[in-house]
Amino acid sequence: MKKSHIVLLVLVAAAVTIIVSMFGDFSTYETFASAAQDEGKQYHVIGELAKGKSMEYDPEKDPNYFSFYVADKSGSVSKVVFNGAKPTDIEKSEQIVMTGYMKGETFHCSKIQMKCPSKYENDQIAVANNQG
Amino acid sequence: MDTQYIGEHLGPGQLGHFFVITSFVAALLSAFSYFRSAQTEVSDTGASNTWLQIGRNSFVLHTAMVVGIFATLFYIITNHLFEYHYAWKHSDRSLSPKYLLSCFWEGQEGSFLLWTFWHCVLGLVVMFTAKRMESRVMTVVSVVQVALATMVLGFYFGQDISIGSSPFILLRDKMQNAPIFAQANYLDFITDGNGLNVLLQNYWMVIHPPVLFLGFASTLIPFAYIIAALWKGEYKEFIKPTWIWSLFSGAVLGTGIMMGGAWAYESLTFGGYWAWDPVENASLVPWLTLIAALHTLIIYKVTGRSFIITIILFVVTYALIWYSTFLTRTGVLGDTSVHSFTGEGQSLYWHLIIVLGVLLIASILVMARRWKMLPRVQTEEQVNSREFWMFIGSFVLFLSAVQIIISTSIPVWAPLAKWITGKEIAPPVDPVAHYNSIQIWVAVVVAILSASILYLKFKKTDNKVFLKRMSITVAIGLLLTALIGFTQDITGVQYLLLLFAASFSVVANVYYAITVQKTKLKKLGAATSHLGFALSLLGILLSSYNKEVISLNTTGIVIPYGEDEMENVKESMENVILYKNVSMPMGKYDVTYIGDSVNENDPRTFYKVNYVLRDSATQEIKESFTLHPNAFVNPKGQEGGMSANPDSKHYLTKDIFTYVTSVINPEKKAKAKEYETQIIQIGDTIFVNRGFITFDGFKTDISNPNYDAQQGDIAVAADLTLRDLQGNITKLAPLYYIRDNYEYNLEDTITERKLYVKLSKIIPDQNAAEIMVKQAGDDNDYVVMKAIIFPYINVLWLGIIVMVIGFFISMVNRITKKEKVIKTA
Repeated sequence: MKKSHIVLLVLVAAAVTIIVSMFGDFSTYETFASAAQDEGKQYHVIGELAKGKSMEYDPEKDPNYFSFYVADKSGSVSKVVFNGAKPTDIEKSEQIVMTGYMKGETFHCSKIQMKCPSKYENDQIAVANNQG
Repeated sequence: MDTQYIGEHLGPGQLGHFFVITSFVAALLSAFSYFRSAQTEVSDTGASNTWLQIGRNSFVLHTAMVVGIFATLFYIITNHLFEYHYAWKHSDRSLSPKYLLSCFWEGQEGSFLLWTFWHCVLGLVVMFTAKRMESRVMTVVSVVQVALATMVLGFYFGQDISIGSSPFILLRDKMQNAPIFAQANYLDFITDGNGLNVLLQNYWMVIHPPVLFLGFASTLIPFAYIIAALWKGEYKEFIKPTWIWSLFSGAVLGTGIMMGGAWAYESLTFGGYWAWDPVENASLVPWLTLIAALHTLIIYKVTGRSFIITIILFVVTYALIWYSTFLTRTGVLGDTSVHSFTGEGQSLYWHLIIVLGVLLIASILVMARRWKMLPRVQTEEQVNSREFWMFIGSFVLFLSAVQIIISTSIPVWAPLAKWITGKEIAPPVDPVAHYNSIQIWVAVVVAILSASILYLKFKKTDNKVFLKRMSITVAIGLLLTALIGFTQDITGVQYLLLLFAASFSVVANVYYAITVQKTKLKKLGAATSHLGFALSLLGILLSSYNKEVISLNTTGIVIPYGEDEMENVKESMENVILYKNVSMPMGKYDVTYIGDSVNENDPRTFYKVNYVLRDSATQEIKESFTLHPNAFVNPKGQEGGMSANPDSKHYLTKDIFTYVTSVINPEKKAKAKEYETQIIQIGDTIFVNRGFITFDGFKTDISNPNYDAQQGDIAVAADLTLRDLQGNITKLAPLYYIRDNYEYNLEDTITERKLYVKLSKIIPDQNAAEIMVKQAGDDNDYVVMKAIIFPYINVLWLGIIVMVIGFFISMVNRITKKEKVIKTA
């Protein structure tokens, strides 16, 4: 066996080990209920803004506190607290992906990603309005 | 639909369609002719030459058509012909002319056009330089051009299925169901387009996409040479052009990727130049495999080894380019990317899979056909030879690419994982930590190898000389590590290792350039690009390790809002509210928001933020500057929102990076202030502008000069304490008294704050009071912002530039070098 082959085997073995261990890094998509089963552990939760619930962001009180309500995929609604500034177009979002953990009744998230309706659909409405 | 529409300009679209179809047919013809020419090369020289001529002419025609498509689309955009979907969707009348080109790369069709265009340019260069390999290489190029041309064909089969999408489709055809198109004069209502995504309205976005696409396009040429070599089983002639083109590609793609980083740094607000975002990763991964391929190619050229891995790496690189397009353009990444590309439909999804599949299968077939005859070397290489370690380094780069692509592709393979395990796999909670923790080791290994390899010779090295040079450079490297590590306060094994690897690599490359290559510029390509790589790593380490958020909420006040108070301490507190004209300490600076400004010709609002640095002893102002972070407030498509751009103060050794995360609601700003009534208990707080008031209790010893005590009065004052954001404490004592059975109150004021407080009622049995607060609203303006210091980020930019220069030095050296007779073992 060539020396380079031995080194290669070692490298491949190391790479496989790293890649397998890296699966532990990967998160999973959960609901509020399933995330609550392991309080404090970080998960991804997908949901949408709960209709008719209030949002709170008053930078004069605290520029790093934003709270809102989200209905997850199973439909259950939970309060969400984000320690940061309010994402600017969250009202328009169709879907929200949050990274964070449950603590008591509240989901504390460190990252919010939003899917907003494409400009295309927005303007379809605008076009229709123009006629009236 | 037989409506005669009014005011439409159908001419440009028809011309455009004609160009699209002709470019497709010309590419087909070119591919076929070049193919025939290559086939008849030996058997029938006359026919081969004729086919070659047809192939060339069709390719030139194809190029002309692509330029025509570009010009037509540009005409449509500049003339605001909103009857065309592309112009309507990606531009508007207010768009400044310098961003008109950016409209091309916002849309899918435009980006494919740009890609096609670069292939045309590169194809023409190949036509003039490839000589005997022209017919084969150009066959591959033309075949890819056919595939790309189908992307903009726009042949529709019913509503949902189409082959490609044409940039010349009319708005009314794209949205057939919209009722507006029942009116013949519908254009009268569509007065403006949708506009360009505000993120793209940035100078980096004018130059970054063309460079990146040139980088993408350029990877085709080495791939085409590889296929050409395999085609006829000629494994020597391809080396030089493949080498040169790989260097070109490495330089341009590398530049393109880092321009993306610079764009992110300058205009996005995630606070950095690299976020391991899937879209960034998708362009980094082919670059890594390309660099690996380039190095194994050098091994093959000098020693005859590593041929098979070289061709595999080049094929993988090219497949990754298409895979990366698949990842970024089809929306398969979904929620995992911050980049604003959305899904462009199922048609594109399958279209790209088919192209990728065909490319891969064809490449594998060509390889398989030659597999048994491919050059191999049976003898064993020396452990102290350059090729041995160069191979290891390349392989590490390849493994690094494998790791990144697996993690990036989570949304692609998650459905499969769900089917097997039942779990919905999501990307890592902290992707930056995930990639960094693995890739830091790659960086260490590659940095050390890239420097030491230069001291090794191909085939066999004199150990004595090698060890002598290594010990000198390692010693200096260690010294440098200690110096930087100590002054920059770097701890942690992996960071110190990376610091050493980068420092050693810088030292070793400079030493090599001076003592071994005697600073002969032509020979310095490798040392220069490796030096650039090492400097980049150093810059990345220094700027991210000591990155400091200075806009911490350092007011010392933990504001209770009824929630768990620990949150305030535990979670990030990186946003700070800045009231107009009230300065806040941030790091060493006193920062003041002094107002906003708008310019008629610019859709952005600029926020003026003044930084002052004072001498800590004398309080003298040492430095003062104003940053203008800005934002598109209420941009199209996200009314009510804002899209912020940062501004930075650049120093040689650091950047102060500032951006606005939130601004005052204009309604609130305009609202005339009146008394607001609140009922609070002793110990409660009332929030006011720039501070809060605590209600400490009642007191009956009245010392208000405005109060004239009379017999029979019942007088009570509220004992209030105002704490403002500077930590100042002011006492307030509004007075409530009952005289002759009537209630009276005397307000207390803080004039400079325009704050008025009244005690309007007392509720003794609840220990509560009704307190009325009025604050003047006119200077109530504020912004919420974040400020970050990036130390030594210039080392990173310098490193990248040096690396790219290194590529070009090597390239020029390769082009001008007289080819020696190739020796293979």
